[in-house]
Amino acid sequence: MPDNWGFVAAAYGLAAVVFGGYWRRLVRKERELTALRADRANRSRPPSGTAHPRPDAGWRAPLQ
Amino acid sequence: MVTVLGWLAALAIVVGLATGFGMAPREVTQGNVQRIMYLHVPAVWVAYLAFTVGFVASVVYLARRREAADRLAHAACEVGTVFLGVNIATGAIWGKPTWGTWWTWDARLTSVAVVFVMFLAYLLLRQAVEDRERGARYAAVLAIVAALNIPLVHFSVYWWRTLHQPPSLLKPGASAMPPIILAALLVNFGALAILGAYFIARRARVLAGEAEAMA
Amino acid sequence: MSYARRALIVAWKDLVVERRSKETLNALLFFSLALLFVFQFTLGPDRERLAAVLPGVLWLGFILSGVLGLGRTFLVERDNDCWEALLLAPGDKSAVYVGKLAASLALMLVVEAIVLALFTLFFNVDLWPVLPGLALVIVLGTLGIAAVGALFAAMTAQVRTRELLFPVLLLPVLVPVLLGTVKATEALLLREPLTSVAHWWQLLVAADVVYVVVGLLTFDVILEG
Repeated sequence: MPDNWGFVAAAYGLAAVVFGGYWRRLVRKERELTALRADRANRSRPPSGTAHPRPDAGWRAPLQ
Repeated sequence: MVTVLGWLAALAIVVGLATGFGMAPREVTQGNVQRIMYLHVPAVWVAYLAFTVGFVASVVYLARRREAADRLAHAACEVGTVFLGVNIATGAIWGKPTWGTWWTWDARLTSVAVVFVMFLAYLLLRQAVEDRERGARYAAVLAIVAALNIPLVHFSVYWWRTLHQPPSLLKPGASAMPPIILAALLVNFGALAILGAYFIARRARVLAGEAEAMA
Repeated sequence: MSYARRALIVAWKDLVVERRSKETLNALLFFSLALLFVFQFTLGPDRERLAAVLPGVLWLGFILSGVLGLGRTFLVERDNDCWEALLLAPGDKSAVYVGKLAASLALMLVVEAIVLALFTLFFNVDLWPVLPGLALVIVLGTLGIAAVGALFAAMTAQVRTRELLFPVLLLPVLVPVLLGTVKATEALLLREPLTSVAHWWQLLVAADVVYVVVGLLTFDVILEG
């Protein structure tokens, strides 16, 4: 019987694609989650350089 | 921890491939196409192992209502379905040159296909129920029904196929297995099992992250 | 109030509602009739071929109308804002499961009996000699369908994609029941001795036991909210 290496390659190739694809999906979800967490952390901190400068901070700094 | 498992899986896969292609001999009747077996058979073993984990985790969840158990059940059933899909697809690819056809309603293929659809339905249910806690409860019940149904499916399909038909189909890798082939099979099973465990752990971690994000 | 009484009340309520409206019964009957005609047209007039596929066609009809009817079991509660009443029902909620199961079973058996009678007419089969055995197979099979169906119907009642999800969940799980009933029916129609299909009987009984027990144990969980 002929060896049919093409079929062997197809089978292992398919498994590689499926497992690789699943792994990539997991990585992508994790990346989304970290981005979401970072986004939230940024939002809870007061933003630097706003359009409305706070007078207190400006006045106190020169005395340091 | 999960990363270690990942590297271990990668290493194990390399060893598995080396065993399947290097150590294992060229099969007498089928030729080298038989090497697909080192992927096809371990895949279904890992899948059923995953479904067992899913079953136990579902029971634990219903008994204790620990979120971690639900996440494990979800991850395990999902990963099991992936491995089962690989098993079915590689089975078809193996069948074409050896049996002459991509698909036959032979007992093993058919029962695996039914189990596959059952757990696909599980994944669909998880997507369809929006409330997280309700989804966890429902999915746990479904996983229990599906897992308990597996032996029923196997027996019914096996009897359906073999009692009016002589078992003449060439079963891939059947009868007496030379020890070296069995060894290669077990090595590859180990490799895929580690890969499966890695996927389950990582998937459960993602689920935990998603739950935290929703809170 | 005792468990049995609660179950009976649920079953009685469903059956009375059904007897008054005959909504589901009529729909299922007409659906089965329509299926009968469709089978006849798609399978062609060849008598022999029809006779060969008769068991499969019969059970396909039973399962499809079962899917239709069972999918609606909890709609009465959902549409009439009685779902909360179910959730708040005192005591072991599996009594509700028993009641729903009994009512669905009764309804399905009525439909199946009528469909069976029509089948014998249209396909000209003589069922009298095998009627007891056939009745037993039909009861065992329908019990399995209803047992899983009632559980999954409760599960999908509140889901948006209920009509699609319910059959998708139910049909793969019911493969063993489908195989068992078709094989047993086939053997009966071919006048084979019942002992030759003993394993199928055992499978049906085993499946029924598993499904009913799981239903009883987990129904409470479904009705938690």
